[in-house]
Amino acid sequence: MRRPDLLVVAGASADRRASASRIAWIAAAAIVVLVLTVQPFSNSDVWWHLALGRLITTSGIPAHEPFSFLPAAHAWVGQQWLYEVPLAGLVGAGGAGLASLVMGLAAVAAVVLAALSIPWSSRVSGPWLAVAMVITGVVLNSVAGVTSAVISVLGVAIVLFVINRWRDGQTPAVWGLPVLFLVWANMDAGFAAGLLILLAALLLTPRADASRRRQLALVLGISAVAVLANPVGPGIYASMLSGIFDPGVARSLAGFGTPDFHQWWARLFEAEVVLVIVLWTVSGGPDRFNAIAGFGLLIATLYAQENLGLLAVFMTPQLAIHGSRAWARHVTPRLQRRSGRAARHLHPVATTAALLALTAAMLVALVPRVSASAAASYQASTYPEAAATFAGDHFAGQRIYTIDTWGGYLAYRFPSGRIVFLYDEPAVFGSNALALYQDIDQLVPSWVHVLTTEDIHHAILPAEAREAAALNVLGWTVNCYDPTSKSLVMSSPPSGTPPPLTGLVIPPPGVPDC
Amino acid sequence: MTSVAAEAVHEERSRFRARLDSWTSPSGLFIAAVLVITALPVTRTIQDPDFWWHLRAGQLILQHGGLLGNDPFTYTVANHHWTMHEWLNEVLFAVEFAIGGLGLIVLVLSAVTWLGLFAIMQKARLRNPGRGVLGLGMLIAVVAGFPIWGPRVQMITFAFSALTLFLVERYMVRGGKAMWVLVPLFVLWSNLHGEFVIGLGFMALILVAEVVGGRLHMPDPAQRSRLLPLLYLLIACTAVSMINLNGPTILFYAAGTQASAAQQSLIEEWFSPSFHDWEVLVYGAMMLSLAMLIVFNKRIRARDVALVLVTTALSLQSARHIELFVAASTPVFIDQLALATPRMRAALGRLRPGPARTPARARVQPPLLFRLTACAMLMAGLGGVYIAWLVPKMQLQPYSLAYAQEFPVCAAQWLAGAPAPLRIFNQYGEGGYLSYELSSHGDKVFIFGDAALMGDQMLETYASAETVAPGWDATIRRFGTDIVLYDVNTPLTDVLDHAADWTKVYQDGLSVAFVPTDKLSSVKLPPVPHWAPGSVCGRQVKATPNTGAQNQ
Repeated sequence: MRRPDLLVVAGASADRRASASRIAWIAAAAIVVLVLTVQPFSNSDVWWHLALGRLITTSGIPAHEPFSFLPAAHAWVGQQWLYEVPLAGLVGAGGAGLASLVMGLAAVAAVVLAALSIPWSSRVSGPWLAVAMVITGVVLNSVAGVTSAVISVLGVAIVLFVINRWRDGQTPAVWGLPVLFLVWANMDAGFAAGLLILLAALLLTPRADASRRRQLALVLGISAVAVLANPVGPGIYASMLSGIFDPGVARSLAGFGTPDFHQWWARLFEAEVVLVIVLWTVSGGPDRFNAIAGFGLLIATLYAQENLGLLAVFMTPQLAIHGSRAWARHVTPRLQRRSGRAARHLHPVATTAALLALTAAMLVALVPRVSASAAASYQASTYPEAAATFAGDHFAGQRIYTIDTWGGYLAYRFPSGRIVFLYDEPAVFGSNALALYQDIDQLVPSWVHVLTTEDIHHAILPAEAREAAALNVLGWTVNCYDPTSKSLVMSSPPSGTPPPLTGLVIPPPGVPDC
Repeated sequence: MTSVAAEAVHEERSRFRARLDSWTSPSGLFIAAVLVITALPVTRTIQDPDFWWHLRAGQLILQHGGLLGNDPFTYTVANHHWTMHEWLNEVLFAVEFAIGGLGLIVLVLSAVTWLGLFAIMQKARLRNPGRGVLGLGMLIAVVAGFPIWGPRVQMITFAFSALTLFLVERYMVRGGKAMWVLVPLFVLWSNLHGEFVIGLGFMALILVAEVVGGRLHMPDPAQRSRLLPLLYLLIACTAVSMINLNGPTILFYAAGTQASAAQQSLIEEWFSPSFHDWEVLVYGAMMLSLAMLIVFNKRIRARDVALVLVTTALSLQSARHIELFVAASTPVFIDQLALATPRMRAALGRLRPGPARTPARARVQPPLLFRLTACAMLMAGLGGVYIAWLVPKMQLQPYSLAYAQEFPVCAAQWLAGAPAPLRIFNQYGEGGYLSYELSSHGDKVFIFGDAALMGDQMLETYASAETVAPGWDATIRRFGTDIVLYDVNTPLTDVLDHAADWTKVYQDGLSVAFVPTDKLSSVKLPPVPHWAPGSVCGRQVKATPNTGAQNQ
């Protein structure tokens, strides 16, 4: 028997060490990303998704909008049922903290998969992977949390992972994609981005690889058909397109608007894009697929800021690969010229110790945030918890006006009886219902008429809302004030009551706490 | 004549002939047409609500023979010191208005904007792009800037920025002494508009970029020996900028605006551009295609990187800075387009494999006389189109229906008849017009468009009343307001309409006025006018009949 070559053994050992080092860096970065992406219920949509999840568990997917007293223009699109039911299950089992943790882990999984999608042949070092992952985590911080958008971020990461493996010649993985799309299409509308990425990969693959192209075309076709297996059926594409291009949706949902570059997170997004473009330019440039997919996602993000997560996860491998290449091209030769020494690696024991220390520090930061008391405190200060309790006790079954971002919370608190005005699902409510809401919210001339015709006599409002001051002018009285969430419960006056001559003051004097 | 002299004359003639051939060639005609076409979108009627108070301020400066120390227009911040960073421009407005009315102001500001575009093109030409690319780039740039074109003071900064960048680039490429023209230009600029610091910033940015780019071995650096004179120029321009009626503090004035959170969050022109708005789509497309071209070419100068990055960041932050993006990034866009063109042509050629090409025939130009005639006809045609476009814009008068639908022209005419001066709570964008019309009558407004003069606190106070936040009523009354004059169908007027302690006293197609009920007897208002049906206000009122208003 031949003895193994000593050089080969030495090379294998170096490979093992490089691999271990890479894993350690990825693990460290994943922990940092987890801390950045575990967030409380900051996205107000979570409440009506939760309410729906509970409703579906007991009564199945509703055919019509189930919470509002306004007539919805369109049939209910129960496309996200597979997100809503597990979400309700999670909150029921472990409270808001568990849901936050699980969604944070989903975001981490997306970032890790994006990092792992880089082929070994690219020889990207651990530190570059970690840097790219942390940058992505910082950008994701603004869009992550308990929202179905995280599912799409994970979906895009899986698609990128599979496509990059497929482009490396590992073709069987693509057969898992139709299943992914089947699940994804029942959780979030972002599956369309995944299909477009697949299409880009198909069109931009060299024609010489005819058999692989045929395979991908087949997978794309099956996936496009698989997404039809959801409650909306074949109407899913039409429903999605009408949501994207409906100007009413863009006006009423912040996520469908252009990023506001006065916000720090938008500046961060801008900096990341600039960094990637600079790295692409100085490192030899991206291939056609990455260039076109990257610019496509950039356009999508400039059009609708909720796509930021998709772009961020796409940028992870680009940052790592091109940062690493640019460093190797422009910086390493100079460093070597100066020092004349090869780069040194950390000792495995030191690496492990640093990793453990980082993990401990991050856990210390994270654990209090997912506790039940932290979630309760956040909810009480962000949503009109006490005000809703007061309204439930005193005005049970009566219609309540509130701002659209609190409508979902009221739907969660009062799921039966149709007492909620409107919440952030404009594609279902349609333009007439939106116009009614905007009449009151923007105080257009017919706002008083809307209150009368819709028989609204109670409101739960942020203390600083214009509606509060306007209703006060009509003589509505403040029943109670919640100093924690700074919200008011107001009611219309009995007929014949003279309107007040003094304006609304916050906190309202002589009014009890809710 | 000696043979040497004859040769020189011959050389001169052939050079002139070559130039003539070039100008009358199709590409030369294309560039000439582009120059005329670019003048169209920058020639508009005056829509900037700030224009009116600038004009009135200029008239007051001429009357007083000096700057106005404090705010003369409001009853809320009358004690605020007014840094009149645009005083020279305001005086010029007043003089032009006295000579030729609004039409002359429109003509001058349109010409200034066009000169800025011309400077951009001259800068782009320094890198010898093909004329097709140059013209195409200029057309894209002028459409990209569509949201911000128009006769407004800001266009002075646009033109001077473009000129500064052209002269500095010319020096970096060719050397020479032309850039020193910037020293007297900065004296002028710093007295015309407070944003002259942008020009200083551009120079500093180019200097730093060249130093850093040199260390990073970036392509096409300027000669090192040219950096020191540029530094001297920067110092000289900074120094002469202080020759200003406002003194050296003018250098820091613009920074205050950029740092003001209230201005950035409350004033529309400081908002980020929305890509759902078709007007900014071309700007977005230009920005993205510039990024793609840079990635495609993988070759860009250090100073170009710096200018593109900074102006992109500024224009994404505030739509009003799209002008800076156009001024600084258009030559880079044209350069990158020119760099990419041969590769794109080659790629397209590969996509369309066809039969072997027959050798191209030598181009024969038509006779010079024919070309000159064609050129003259084209220019005359385009010139005619431009004049037909320009004249209606110049003819628009302050008391026209177009302005009566945008500004409270009719309400101001009504209020001008009041027997005593009034304190008017007004809309932010209309304070300028009301000041222009009513300040001579002694009336004062709550707020007008000089946000820096108003201060962040006043802007926040106004915003709380405008959005009907709790306490809005007290905010309006606390300053001693006599009357609220506001646009119809706004949240504030719709609430006032239902408020028991406010009484509606006037309404036309645009404006509605309310008086605190407890002040009805003390505030002396003129009778509600009955506009003649054919008059400007008669036609404007027709849109929304004056209902419910009562004269007190």
